[in-house]
Amino acid sequence: MHSMKLKLIYPEEKVKEPILSRVCKKFDVDINIRKANVQEKMGWLELEFIGNEEEIEKAINFLVESGIEVLPIEGQVFVE
Amino acid sequence: MAKVKGLKCKECGAEYPVEPIHVCEFCFGPLEIVYDYEEIKKNISREKIEKGPKSLWRYVDLLPVENPTVGLSAGFTPLIKAENLGKLLGLNNLYIKDDSVNHPTLSFKDRVVSVALSKAKEFGFDTAACASTGNLANSVAAHAASAGMKCYVFIPSNLETNKIIGSLVFNPVVVAVDGNYDDVNRLSSEIANEFGWAFVNINVRPFYSEGSKTLAFEVAEQLGWKIPDTVVAPLASGSLYTKIWKGFNELIQVGLVEGKPPRMLGAQAEGCSPIYQALKEGRDFIKPVKPNTIAKSIAIGNPADGPYAVKVAKESQGDIQIATDEEIIEGIKLLAKTEGIFTETAGGTTVAVLKKFAEAGVFDKDEVVVAYITGNGYKTMEVLEGKLQKPIHIKPSLIEFKEKVIGKK
Repeated sequence: MHSMKLKLIYPEEKVKEPILSRVCKKFDVDINIRKANVQEKMGWLELEFIGNEEEIEKAINFLVESGIEVLPIEGQVFVE
Repeated sequence: MAKVKGLKCKECGAEYPVEPIHVCEFCFGPLEIVYDYEEIKKNISREKIEKGPKSLWRYVDLLPVENPTVGLSAGFTPLIKAENLGKLLGLNNLYIKDDSVNHPTLSFKDRVVSVALSKAKEFGFDTAACASTGNLANSVAAHAASAGMKCYVFIPSNLETNKIIGSLVFNPVVVAVDGNYDDVNRLSSEIANEFGWAFVNINVRPFYSEGSKTLAFEVAEQLGWKIPDTVVAPLASGSLYTKIWKGFNELIQVGLVEGKPPRMLGAQAEGCSPIYQALKEGRDFIKPVKPNTIAKSIAIGNPADGPYAVKVAKESQGDIQIATDEEIIEGIKLLAKTEGIFTETAGGTTVAVLKKFAEAGVFDKDEVVVAYITGNGYKTMEVLEGKLQKPIHIKPSLIEFKEKVIGKK
């Protein structure tokens, strides 16, 4: 079983959408939320995806296509 | 390892042994090195440091490394009394800490990478890695080469290869990932957690970031074992800024200097200023932004140490200010024409913000102010294209030279 710690950042226009619930229904992944701050104009969650690598990858792609910024728990590690 | 007690979560305080780990298993907070300052105090002295190597390793007693093997010439860069710039800004005691001449790759990254890879070797890693096209990649690739380590550098595939020539020369494996910056970030994290590699700003980050403390240690020693009243430093992830603060506090704690830690002033580019915005809006959390600035080397839209930088700014009675792209260019030019130092955009940001603070009357004219210049302008000369004066064209004629250049017949 694979696990991945992620940080999800919701832009204002996506805060009201039940996107995580959709992820749970569509993909075979367990989601373990550890920390979150959701407000009217933005939201972020730190969580763990547990499942096989392929399902986690599909779930991440779904989130990205839904307009969510999906970062590793370390945040931005790439620097120019 | 008597001087280091272990690792501790900065959020919940959970403790861990000294291992290549960086995230708390309980709350996902970042881990930090915990030292035994009482033990260090027994072994450290000004005399011992002064007899040490002319590099950042003279402060090894306050670094999480037992046996330094990588980057043995990094650090101990000049501290320059900036008389000309000081005069212009009304500061009688302005200093420039010039990491644009750090060894071997001309930025402050040589400090953090030296510490990260020395520790990585102690852990038994034989491979170094990073995700970068700039100063970080330059430094990791160079140090890995000299340390005989394998090296992997990850970049988004849509970047021009000429951006990474300064890293390619050290012969790392460059992996161009089909995807955007976030895809590279996620893949890097997965690789760091799965492979037994030292991914410098991921799994060895607690050790890596400690290297920035030496920017405080050196300044204090170079000022004759005194702490400056105020420092000005750039903010990207917030790590450098918070570690400079930690460094000065440690010097006081182990009795090497007296007095209080400095006021911490920070500089961000207007086009990527999430830490500045959090401070101004009174938030203790960071709202991520999409960077849009020429100051690429400090353009971190989702800074990991942002909340801690906000805390340091408040605790030190400091402040954070921003500079526009135009002001950053002017900052680069101002430092060059007054002090003869060519810095890159991060340094331009710092100088621009220093100037703003001076104009706002933030400084007493006699206080000791240190501005940290963290990178070298010769790496990013393209930002100055069209922004500098043009040559005066003349025929090979003394008459024309007198007329057009000297301005007399």
